[in-house]
Amino acid sequence: MEALSLRDDMSDKTAAAGQNTLQLIAFSIGEQTYGVEITTVREIRAWNGATPLPNTREFVRGVINLRGTIVPIFDLRARFGDGQTSPTKNHVVVVMSVGDKWVGILVDAVSDILTVNRDDIHNVPEGNSIDTELLNGIVTHESRMVGLIDLHAVVSGAKMDG
Amino acid sequence: MSDLDDFKATYFDECSELLTELEEQFAAIEEGERHADRLNAVFRAIHSIKGGAGAFGFTALVGFAHAYETLLDYVRDGRIELTDDVVVLCIRANDIVADHVNAAQSGEDLPADYGADEKARFDALARGESGADSAGEDDLDGEMVDEFDLDFTPVMVNLDAPTPTGEAPVEDVFDAAPMMAAEGQWEIRFTPHRALYARANDPLLLFRELAALGKMNVRPILSDVPPLSDFEPFGVYCTWEITLVAPGLGEDAIREVFEFVDGDCDIVIAQAGTVPGLVQDEPEVVAEVATASDEPDLSSLLALTEEEVAAPAEPVVPPAAFAPEPPAAEIGPQDSFDEAPADLSFAALAAEIAPAPKAEKAAAVAAPVAAAKPAMPAAGGGESEESSGRSVGVQSIRVDLDKVDRVVNMVGELVITQSMLTQQMDETLRARYTELVRGLEVLAQTTRGLQDSVMAIRAQPVKSVFSRMPRLVRELATKTSKKIKLETIGENTEIDKTVIEQLSDPLTHMIRNSADHGIESPEKRLAAGKPESGTIRLSAEQAGGNILIIVEDDGAGINRERVLGLARDKGIVAPDITPTDEQIDQLIFAPGFSTAEAVSDISGRGVGMDVVLSNIKKIGGSVHVRSWPGRGTRMTLRLPLTLAVLDVMLVKVGGGPYVVPLSSIVETMQCSRAAFERVPSGGRVLQVRGEYVQVIDLAQRFELTSQQNPDDQFVVLCEAEGNQKVALVVDDIIGQQQVVIKSLEENFESVEGIAGGTILGDGNVALIVDVQGLRTSPIHQNAA
Repeated sequence: MEALSLRDDMSDKTAAAGQNTLQLIAFSIGEQTYGVEITTVREIRAWNGATPLPNTREFVRGVINLRGTIVPIFDLRARFGDGQTSPTKNHVVVVMSVGDKWVGILVDAVSDILTVNRDDIHNVPEGNSIDTELLNGIVTHESRMVGLIDLHAVVSGAKMDG
Repeated sequence: MSDLDDFKATYFDECSELLTELEEQFAAIEEGERHADRLNAVFRAIHSIKGGAGAFGFTALVGFAHAYETLLDYVRDGRIELTDDVVVLCIRANDIVADHVNAAQSGEDLPADYGADEKARFDALARGESGADSAGEDDLDGEMVDEFDLDFTPVMVNLDAPTPTGEAPVEDVFDAAPMMAAEGQWEIRFTPHRALYARANDPLLLFRELAALGKMNVRPILSDVPPLSDFEPFGVYCTWEITLVAPGLGEDAIREVFEFVDGDCDIVIAQAGTVPGLVQDEPEVVAEVATASDEPDLSSLLALTEEEVAAPAEPVVPPAAFAPEPPAAEIGPQDSFDEAPADLSFAALAAEIAPAPKAEKAAAVAAPVAAAKPAMPAAGGGESEESSGRSVGVQSIRVDLDKVDRVVNMVGELVITQSMLTQQMDETLRARYTELVRGLEVLAQTTRGLQDSVMAIRAQPVKSVFSRMPRLVRELATKTSKKIKLETIGENTEIDKTVIEQLSDPLTHMIRNSADHGIESPEKRLAAGKPESGTIRLSAEQAGGNILIIVEDDGAGINRERVLGLARDKGIVAPDITPTDEQIDQLIFAPGFSTAEAVSDISGRGVGMDVVLSNIKKIGGSVHVRSWPGRGTRMTLRLPLTLAVLDVMLVKVGGGPYVVPLSSIVETMQCSRAAFERVPSGGRVLQVRGEYVQVIDLAQRFELTSQQNPDDQFVVLCEAEGNQKVALVVDDIIGQQQVVIKSLEENFESVEGIAGGTILGDGNVALIVDVQGLRTSPIHQNAA
């Protein structure tokens, strides 16, 4: 915990499982597994298209109507620089709250709910700036590596010139 | 939120309304409409502000408002002439009151001497009068007391032998002690009006406060209590006389105790031994004696507000007439006050409810006084009619805006559902279900009516924002040493309340900009052959589904060379782009842009005009600036009438739905029939009725691929600010409908060329095209 500066929205809520554990929603992009803290997740819905937004970066897939409010959808694969996802009905949008905003993240599939120990969260190895920019930390679960997504970083820089 | 906070919030709401009213009244007074109604309205407004301030303990505000009110009172009864100087002083005083209110609201402290200069000038004005006319000074103000004391004390001397009468005190036995004008012995006569109780004041608390000042005796005067048959449950019949022995105590200190009920009661304060003299100096007492005689109309007279009672400012009867009168019938027993128990007599208070058989007698005794003054009841009657008319007036309730908003949103959704249902009706359905069609038509009408009614609830005249501007202009004129006149036009134009709230900041910035950068100094103006005083014209008008707010000045206009130079320096405009004059003008709204020669404390920090743009965009409006070098600048805000529902045309661009606000569309045509021309930049222009119009291919601009054959595309001719047209090329036109505007920024951020989003009947999101934004963004100009 000391070694890691988790964002406020990650750290100030304690998962039901106990003081020192964290519950994650795990989802996959290709072979990789990533996770976000379960308390930030508002809703999981199947991909049903989005209205594209002009003059935005390729990882902004557009906006959807979530019960009357307009929510932007970010393509996590594109955000990691692996090109746009070609979504099907089997793809999933995870709607999360980041600060006071709601955003959707397009992922391949939601795989699991994980309970991990905060002490088991490792720093992201220095090296690729995309990794350190977009991940808060790495945790091992059943010998799989799970990258903890930094939501604030993911949704920033959406504008063409931004 | 506690009750007190609730009350406070209401109080501040009221204050802002009252301050608006003050500005209005003075705007008219400044124009030369100096009649009594206006002054009365001003007086009432200040009085209400003061009253609430007293209740919440905003002493600084109370103090200033009180001094101001006193001045107004003098003006109202003609003791001070309403000269231009006085009007200017009053306007300044309004500003100070507003500052006090703001400070109280935000919990800040103003400097202790804030407004002291103006206060001193009130006093000076009042003094100038009091020297000439020593008769009848009512409603003495703390600051002025010293002066008036000198004036009327000698007058009282000739009346130092009042006749004790049969009006015996209720309980205490008095020996006829000689009247000793003991040092520091005060006689106070306290006559509460009904309003005092109505405002939940309690005389007991006042007496307790007085008791803390010195040795005190309180005695109720029950002579006004009518026979039980005439007794009105809410009538106020009791008057108290108080003797306060407090050596070294000034009249101010006593006045202070009654400060918060001032106006809701009659207070007569005098040094012991001078009381009868007060009768001639205090019109309130005169009025009240008449009241007593006027039984059984007592209650109606008691209902008079303080203005009415104070109205006959000059005594109708010369002082001499009072000498033989027995006004002492009510005031008489005070000569033995010093014998009475010194502490607060609760029994005396309790006696208020005791029946008083002496009422008739009191009336009889007072009758001659009343007879001497027939004018009084008549005057009072007239006034009370007016006051009752005032209270009927327009009936209104205060409703939390959130509640209205919820209704507005639901009506918005209802309208959309209704239009969606109507669209589902194709010809076969129409033929088969005629009843259903009829029902839908009625539904459409009803929803439209419902929508209009709900919008009307939220609509407010722009006056509430406009009225803040005269003050701003005054302050700016002072700070910049320029002469600036503000003209406002169309202030009764009504706009949605949310729009109005968002309007205040942009307007402030625009007027600042006009005053600081637009209007030249008087010397420069004279040199340019213009009138010395610059004019800023603020106008509001409705144009179709929009409201236009125009800020216009007759200043120097925008220095385009300088603007462009700065914009290039700051990288706002790329070196290879040559914007048109009009585009240069719009640059003043670019973030971080400022042309101020020096950063002044008014404007010039480069924030401001871009705030205007972002605020206006947020509410679905647009800004356009037009400048004529040497002649002035005109800034136009185009605002939607309502934020909730927008009439749009649904178009298809690159396979997806987009909507264009119907209010901006002039006409549509097929591309095959449109007269396009090429221009050297590679873009196209459209020739419409002899006019060449910029063409924007939306698919291209939005980086979409159009599947449509160019000849099958459509041109949507839109009108942007300043009657400038722009032709949007779209793939297809789907139809018209109403939509509810949804913010993109709520969960995302603003997107260039897009004014917002909306949700279509099928649940999908469609984006609203920002016509003005597309047209005037110079950076992407080459894309078209």
